[in-house]
Amino acid sequence: MNTPLDDELRKALRPVDPDEGFAERVMRRIDSTPAPLQRRPRWFPALPVALAASALLGTILIYAWHAEREQQRQGLEARRQLIEALHITGEKLDLAYRGVNGETRPPAPDDTGA
Amino acid sequence: MKTFTLKAIVALLLLASLPCERALAADGRLLLPDFSALEDKASEVVDVNLNTALLGLAARFLDDKSPDEVAVKQLVAGLTGIYVKSFAFDGDFAYPKADIEVVRKQLSVPGWQKLVEVRSRKEQTHVDVYLSLDGDKVNGLAILASEPRQFTIVNIVGSVDLRKLHQLEGRFGVPDLRLEGKPPTVK
Repeated sequence: MNTPLDDELRKALRPVDPDEGFAERVMRRIDSTPAPLQRRPRWFPALPVALAASALLGTILIYAWHAEREQQRQGLEARRQLIEALHITGEKLDLAYRGVNGETRPPAPDDTGA
Repeated sequence: MKTFTLKAIVALLLLASLPCERALAADGRLLLPDFSALEDKASEVVDVNLNTALLGLAARFLDDKSPDEVAVKQLVAGLTGIYVKSFAFDGDFAYPKADIEVVRKQLSVPGWQKLVEVRSRKEQTHVDVYLSLDGDKVNGLAILASEPRQFTIVNIVGSVDLRKLHQLEGRFGVPDLRLEGKPPTVK
């Protein structure tokens, strides 16, 4: 049982052959339409520069960190030497002091006195 | 004529050597011999070479909160160098005394003044303490200590403030030497 709507749809959707020259017109239209421009993302050209800058900054930071560490190592070593020098100076001044006062050397910790 | 020429040459050499000796004494710095040959023989070696830059660096690493280290910082402020050579040996007198005499000779020039001399026959120790004076200003301290199994040379260069050194009494093993009084001498 066909309804009027079915008839209308069948009529509208019936296969229709294209008219003469349709294919040529379509091809002509394709040829005349300019191809869309392929735009690169804006950030792309800056990427190598950014990478180089990051690498340079990283190198500078590593160098600065290394230099700081090296200076700290040298500083601590100099401090150790300074304290050691003062120890030895004190020891020898003490030796002189005891000599001046006629004191004898205190026995060594492992000296049993035997 | 020949004798006169020889005398003149000797006199000129003596005159030429005077400024060098004065220069050595003037800055309070000793020229220490190369003791590298002794390092293999020694059981313990201490070699401290702190010039002005290293002293400054060391001072930066001293703790400002510790009174002891603050005292050291103040002492170091006027110094331009600290040089210590100390060798300990397993046997008695394993070191050449000639090397010590080379240093002792440098201390016999004008400018250096012997503050203390201690010779103990019993303990076989010999300790000399010298001050380098520029006018009435102390600009160097030298200690030569020879013991049977150890010899030590200490050279502190720069404005040595004896009062500050005195303040270090009991710290870092520095004893009270009564440095403000007349220097004692025992022979």
